[in-house]
Amino acid sequence: MTRDLSRRDFLAGTASALLVPFVVTSKSKAAQPRAFNAYLRLSPDGRVTILSPTSEMGQGTHTGYAAIVADELGVDIEQVQLTVPTQPAPEYRLFFGQMRSVGSFGIRAWIGPLRLAAARTRNVLTSAAAQELNVDASTLDIDAGFVVDASGTQHMPIEDLIDAASALPLPEAPALRAPETRRYVGQPVPRIDTPPKTDGSAIYGIDVRLPDMLHAAVRLSPVFGADVERLDPASAPGAAAVVQVPGGAAVVAESWWKAKQLADGLDITWGSSPHDGVSSADISREMHAGLELADAPAAVDRGNALAALAAADTVIEADYEVPFLAHFAMEPLSCVAQVSDIRCEVWLSTQGHDTVLNALREVTGLSPEHIFINTTYLGGGFGRKAHGEVAQQAVLASRAVGGRPVKVIWAREDDVQQGQYRPAMAARLRAALDDDNRISALHVRLSGPMMGREYSHVRIENNLDFFSHATLVDQKYVPGAFRLDHHVVDVPPNTCPWRAVSSSQNGFFLEAFMDEVAEAASEDPLAFRKRQYADHPSHMAVLESVERRSGWGTPLPGPNWGRGVAIVESYGARCAQVAEVEIIEDRPVVRRIWLAFDCGEAINPGQVEAQMTGAVIDALGPTLRCQVTLRDGRAEQSNFDGYPILRMDEVPDIDVEIVDTGAPIGGVGEPGLPPTAPAVANAIYAATGRRYRRMPFDQV
Amino acid sequence: MMTTFPLIGTSVTAKADPETPLLWVLRDELGFTGTKYGCGIARCGACTVLLDGSPVLSCSLSLTAVEERTVQTIEGLSHDRSHPVQRAWAEIDVPQCGYCQSGQIMTAAALLAETPEPTDDDIDAAMSSVLCRCGTYPRIRAAVKRAAEIAREG
Repeated sequence: MTRDLSRRDFLAGTASALLVPFVVTSKSKAAQPRAFNAYLRLSPDGRVTILSPTSEMGQGTHTGYAAIVADELGVDIEQVQLTVPTQPAPEYRLFFGQMRSVGSFGIRAWIGPLRLAAARTRNVLTSAAAQELNVDASTLDIDAGFVVDASGTQHMPIEDLIDAASALPLPEAPALRAPETRRYVGQPVPRIDTPPKTDGSAIYGIDVRLPDMLHAAVRLSPVFGADVERLDPASAPGAAAVVQVPGGAAVVAESWWKAKQLADGLDITWGSSPHDGVSSADISREMHAGLELADAPAAVDRGNALAALAAADTVIEADYEVPFLAHFAMEPLSCVAQVSDIRCEVWLSTQGHDTVLNALREVTGLSPEHIFINTTYLGGGFGRKAHGEVAQQAVLASRAVGGRPVKVIWAREDDVQQGQYRPAMAARLRAALDDDNRISALHVRLSGPMMGREYSHVRIENNLDFFSHATLVDQKYVPGAFRLDHHVVDVPPNTCPWRAVSSSQNGFFLEAFMDEVAEAASEDPLAFRKRQYADHPSHMAVLESVERRSGWGTPLPGPNWGRGVAIVESYGARCAQVAEVEIIEDRPVVRRIWLAFDCGEAINPGQVEAQMTGAVIDALGPTLRCQVTLRDGRAEQSNFDGYPILRMDEVPDIDVEIVDTGAPIGGVGEPGLPPTAPAVANAIYAATGRRYRRMPFDQV
Repeated sequence: MMTTFPLIGTSVTAKADPETPLLWVLRDELGFTGTKYGCGIARCGACTVLLDGSPVLSCSLSLTAVEERTVQTIEGLSHDRSHPVQRAWAEIDVPQCGYCQSGQIMTAAALLAETPEPTDDDIDAAMSSVLCRCGTYPRIRAAVKRAAEIAREG
């Protein structure tokens, strides 16, 4: 038997959600899909729809979900499609009570619930088939979407059992399939969203078009913290509306280009800001002053580390600094809103559903059941698309034109200059070495913003903030005397998770420093790390992989070459990298990167490889030259010309090996990024004898 | 004022102000949203379309500049994703977020039309005009080579 799925298309939540108001209403009731639980729907044509708790922004989790469900339910992956629910609900929220696509949780948080949902659905389907066939349910299974018996004989397709199965109670804890029976999980399954991403049909937030829709551009304060003092709407002749929004104005017109021209010409007087005149040098000076303070609030303090350092004969000390970084997702922020007194609906590429919901509740005063969020594909997110400011602007704009739908698009310059940056941070690390060249005490002083304080859903206890302290708080170099403290410096821009969040800078601090400690111990940097991690099999496995593959210790191609190593644990996964760098006219050129990664079971090795390669390329921009600097209270960069991410001709050879030491399943999207900068810094040192302690490394 | 030009095999007429960038005419007036906005200053390549067969950056090209010239966008590359570049992109599973891929694919199609057997240097020279934030460059390079093979095999 075969099933005609020619109409099947993989639509990231949105597209099917987009069709809801216009198409589904015309279908007969009998043709409606049936939900078996919060995560799975089965349609009369045999399609299985996953209600996905996360968005697809390139990280590949939707393909992972399809593989997990197809295996456990017993259907072909081609039968599976995804949609993102339009309303956050407890079933879709992470442990901290938010529906968000963040923290490399996509697979590791949802594999359990999705697999269980599929197993429960399979169980009621086979039970329903057993009643119909008058056999014992335990003799039946589902394969390729059909009920099969123990002899392998194919019976009815699962869609014929929708009504009968819906009448049966879902079992609480059905047995899961044996891992060796899985067809998709563990294989490099092609991405289900690749076809629409090769012909222009994939719909991103910026592409959404609704009947009668107007367009809006924004004009926002160039200085952080300033707002409109005076606005002359008459300075935008021909605009459908000029709307004041927090921090600026939105101009609504018949086309975005026209709206943008009018917004640029808008006569606005900006009020003063507490950050007028602030520059990066001021912030840097204040952060470095924080390093000199005798005390700062401690997040970790054990084994009397400060006393051990004061008493030690050999202390290694170094200061590091990183700048602000912007996200530069290829798709700038946008949102379509259509709002009335009783209903609010938005279409956008978001990774922060509850944040958007809260922003919409605030601006509309509506209760959650009257608010609908349609999620499109994201043209990149990297943490930036977890906020609600554009959704609020779109609502205000729609309201200003009588509830017509309005699409707000931020120009690239708005996207770059409105803050939400990876924090700038300074760090001072001090380590004591004992007579056996073991680290007997470690003190890390951070000085800079504390991002977690900006989030209402984050509880900071005992000064410990994951958004500032990850990778340091659970460092494994010093099981004993260790102190981590943080002097908070408030900065003009809001800060925001960027790929790998605080591990992006803390991995640099820790791994660049450990190279200096290894040198003080007169030990090879890789051998030093292996000694530190001797009792940690996953760490050892990734270190040994890059050691072997990179030819660590063998001669380099030339005198101006160097190799450096780094290992960072983040998001429940271990990543080691060796970078090979050539110095050409005092500039570091990264030639090769060997990467080894252990995230436990790799659900889709092809996509794990893609995330690793992409994370390295992502990291190399800020490693080598990208940063956001402030002058007179505003960002100096506004577009790709001032923030030159890597182009194809600059990408080094990147060699990825996935190792599995049987560790619990970890994250994938972020942990490939943190080791790149320190591996490159350490390679530059090997080549030049100069320590680069401030990113980017274009400045000595 | 009206501007007329051939697009994907038919003649289209746009009403937009002649100084409007082609990108926004394609996306907002004509409804072809496969071509993307990324920077607006001709730096990222997401908006790449073919003008008389050559890659151009539609964010920085006014409507008047395309009068009576042939514009090709991703939507017109094939009806069924059968262009060798599209087939290679699927085979190598290139896209991540996918947002830049229309620009990448159009640039690759123009490269292969001009240079059916590109060297690594040819690929670097052509494809470095289009930025990818996800870092799909290694797969893009592999897919351009594979597309050249597919085109040769016919």
